[in-house]
Amino acid sequence: MFLKRVTAAALLTLGFVLAPLLVPEKADAIPAFSRQHKTECSTCHTIYPELNEFGDAFLKNSYVWPHKKNGAKAVSAATQGGEPAGNEWATISGLPLQLPISLTATADLAYDNDAADGNKVNLSTRSLTLHAGGSLRDVAGFFLTYNLYSQGAGHAGSEALTPARNTNTPPNNDPDIDELFLVWRHALNSPVNLKVGRFEPKLSLWKKSNRILPVPSYASTTYLVGNSPFSSDATEDGIELNAVLGNRLFVAAGIVDRDGQDREDGYGHISYKFGGTDLKGQEPELELEGESIWDYLAITTGVFGYWGQNGQFNNGIAQNLNNFRRIGAEADILYKRLHLKGSGSFGRDSNPTLWVRQEVDSRAYTLEGEYYLGAPVNLVPLFRYEHLDTGNGGTKRFIPALAYSPLQNLKLSLEYIHSEAPEGNSNTAFASLAFSL
Amino acid sequence: MKKFLVTMLLLAATASSAHAGLKVVGRGDAMRLDPTSFPPAMKANYDVMRTKCVKCHTLERTIVAIQTGVAPISGQPFDRTATKAYGIKMLRKPDSNMTKPEVKATVDLMNYLLSEAGQ
Repeated sequence: MFLKRVTAAALLTLGFVLAPLLVPEKADAIPAFSRQHKTECSTCHTIYPELNEFGDAFLKNSYVWPHKKNGAKAVSAATQGGEPAGNEWATISGLPLQLPISLTATADLAYDNDAADGNKVNLSTRSLTLHAGGSLRDVAGFFLTYNLYSQGAGHAGSEALTPARNTNTPPNNDPDIDELFLVWRHALNSPVNLKVGRFEPKLSLWKKSNRILPVPSYASTTYLVGNSPFSSDATEDGIELNAVLGNRLFVAAGIVDRDGQDREDGYGHISYKFGGTDLKGQEPELELEGESIWDYLAITTGVFGYWGQNGQFNNGIAQNLNNFRRIGAEADILYKRLHLKGSGSFGRDSNPTLWVRQEVDSRAYTLEGEYYLGAPVNLVPLFRYEHLDTGNGGTKRFIPALAYSPLQNLKLSLEYIHSEAPEGNSNTAFASLAFSL
Repeated sequence: MKKFLVTMLLLAATASSAHAGLKVVGRGDAMRLDPTSFPPAMKANYDVMRTKCVKCHTLERTIVAIQTGVAPISGQPFDRTATKAYGIKMLRKPDSNMTKPEVKATVDLMNYLLSEAGQ
């Protein structure tokens, strides 16, 4: 038994230690946005899928190159022959020149020392996800994530938060549309964008898919209370208005249509970025002679709130209703290669069991620090601490991890998760290989 | 008179070739600048550019931007304002491994090259 455990741990460690020796001469990253804009993944990502500052601006600009000037493309075409006149059909019809799709595949290895079924090493978790994204003549942006295949049980209570039981897929991990939305950019020549479809409501500073380690997701945004299926980062069908104001202020508000309800959920988000690249992708004004801490420092703070209602389904109608709310505050601090993230969320559910009415207050915190070593070895050591209390006593998680990207579209990650919960402690090692094409 | 005219034409031809564009060697990913005619300070700056910038992208991207006055990926004008903005962007890029003096050297070089290219 001991030998098996040691062997599994040794294999994981050996593979990870040797992996950086396979440094390639050239990185080729080719997912949809990279192909569309003919640029490398590192334009928008540190180690994918985590966004860098420019990537965040690209996201907030609804997948249109930030601060792009009208007619810039025409100038480019005229001077370089970049887009010949033969592509007029695409411009007139609003069609992207290339089919903007890409695929992401993951294969995971989990070692759970306390596996209930005795199967401590699990190699069966894997997923394949289809992505599509781009813009339609810069008037509208669109994004699609479709789970083609994923292995693992669906989310049911807090069990599903254990990586050994799930892959890095969203709660609706059956083959299904996870995200599908269209954004009308700068509607009626205003700074407001109108987003319609299924998407992750803008609450947190970071999309759940935009982290170096998507599994486990941040406790502060992904936690569930009782039998209620609501979590702050679950994708929902809704309408959202958002806008970048004054280059550094971002506001968003929306409503969510939940099945079986006679009312809509509502939410709001506001965040401000101090220093660094602004939210429109423009670099800060700084002098190339002399040093200032603000040359490299960027601090983003945000707050959010969500008010909603769900219940137990009976013939399509929700019963035993649960009224819930979440409020949260977050901060993101970037200084050179050091990236610190902090997230706290507080909630109240009136009937989270969806059966016996009992009000529950909940709270969760996540603190994460990462250091991007960067070229020539794209390695990120990180550490995350999480505290979660959903009325059953507090659970703490300590997660040291390493992520390594030998190619910009290939990522290896290794993490160790130590959990201290009222029902007992647990230790899980989790290795993941992911690539996009 | 003939001699004078020929001399003037030769002078004009030499002068125009000096400002008509950059001396480029190679094509595609192997594209480089020929720095033999650069002033000493710009030669030193070019040494920084050809060792630092190519860690993340080809020199072709920079040369095309300078030759055309248009940044090839964003399609935006590539002028003196843009060179500084790109310099700051590279300075702040976590894995660029570029210091402020190195970034300033490349920005100065790009501005010099823009002038040489007539942009």
